[in-house]
Amino acid sequence: MSNKKEREKRREERLAEEQKVSSSDNRRQRLLQMAAGAVFLVVVAVVVLVVANSSSSDSGGDSNIEEVGAVDSLFNGIPQEGLMLGKASAPVELIEFGDLQCPVCKEYSEEILPEVIENKVKSGEAKIDFRNFTIISEESVPAGAAAIAAGKQGRGWYFIELFYRNQGEERSGYVTDEFLTSIAKGAGVKDMAKWNKERKDPKTTKEVEATYAEAQKFGFNGTPSFAIQGPSTNGVELPGTLQTPGEFEEAIEEAS
Amino acid sequence: MRMPAEGTLRRIIAFVAAVGIGVATYITIADSGGGAPTCLAGGGGCETVANSSYSHIAGVNVAVFGIIGYVLILATAFFASDAARFGGFALALGGFGFSVYLTYLEIFKIEAICQWCVASAVLMTILFLLNATRLIGYVGSDGATAPPEEADNDDTAAPEEAELQT
Repeated sequence: MSNKKEREKRREERLAEEQKVSSSDNRRQRLLQMAAGAVFLVVVAVVVLVVANSSSSDSGGDSNIEEVGAVDSLFNGIPQEGLMLGKASAPVELIEFGDLQCPVCKEYSEEILPEVIENKVKSGEAKIDFRNFTIISEESVPAGAAAIAAGKQGRGWYFIELFYRNQGEERSGYVTDEFLTSIAKGAGVKDMAKWNKERKDPKTTKEVEATYAEAQKFGFNGTPSFAIQGPSTNGVELPGTLQTPGEFEEAIEEAS
Repeated sequence: MRMPAEGTLRRIIAFVAAVGIGVATYITIADSGGGAPTCLAGGGGCETVANSSYSHIAGVNVAVFGIIGYVLILATAFFASDAARFGGFALALGGFGFSVYLTYLEIFKIEAICQWCVASAVLMTILFLLNATRLIGYVGSDGATAPPEEADNDDTAAPEEAELQT
């Protein structure tokens, strides 16, 4: 009788143990399935984010700023003062009259000027002074003022170059406060409150208008237009249409 | 391959998460004053990344999300339950996915590499692998018993939990 009871007890214990293992197995199975589902969701989320980012950046003019690193390395180690790039002691001053919305200025900025900066500005032979010639539309004025305000914090050329590299379609309304703020942040403007105040200051707008008048005085009617002055020039001279890095370098050598 | 003991995994997870908290906190503090983390190996990568528009989400530095993630993962290492195993895995998985996305931004969008961000991405990857190992090896073991095939590795019992918590 006691043997039977013992057998019964062992049987119950075995069944209880089996049930416990089985429920534990089920839970394990369920949690691992959930984990696999979570992995799938995260993979999908990352792919969606990457695709959304790569397609939104193609058209430019949005707040996803590109080429910050490329711009940083282009100007790394070159002194800047206002919108002047290069050593103050450089004998030749190349003056660029540009409009930040202008696609041709963007081409110059990306394809021609980097070589000139590398060969003539870094060496201290020349400095480049950017002046706003806001001919495209009214939106160019706040853009130019924002560049001047960035220049007051030593980030003017970073701002200009980054603007060009993220430029949208001209007159499309992309020059919003949000866009300008993103460019300023990407350009490394430290004091955003100061930048905001200065770019909206009427004095800054007047500076933009003053260089516009100056460009008209030179007889320019398109952007970018260039003027040059150095020890061998008679004050500020107009070098004509310069289209290659070689032509710019030649003009700088002649002026020095 | 022999599955490492869960206690060992939990200790390593706690250690790596603590290092992660340190790294993310440094990035947050360096950025908070309008500055940027200093790249120890030189170069301006850290400054470029910190100054980019991608460094903040809704005005909050992404490193803050990192701190929160690491703290929560650290917390899961203190408990030997399925909730902790699954929670640790889910958090590390999310952190790993986010790190993959941020690394993509650094390489293809910002075009600059910040060593501190790389360090955090590596730590999050390690945490993901450790938490995945922990989940696969020990989920369903109820904190007291390991899955049948790993029964000899069971060291998830209460005494160790107490030891970890002290």
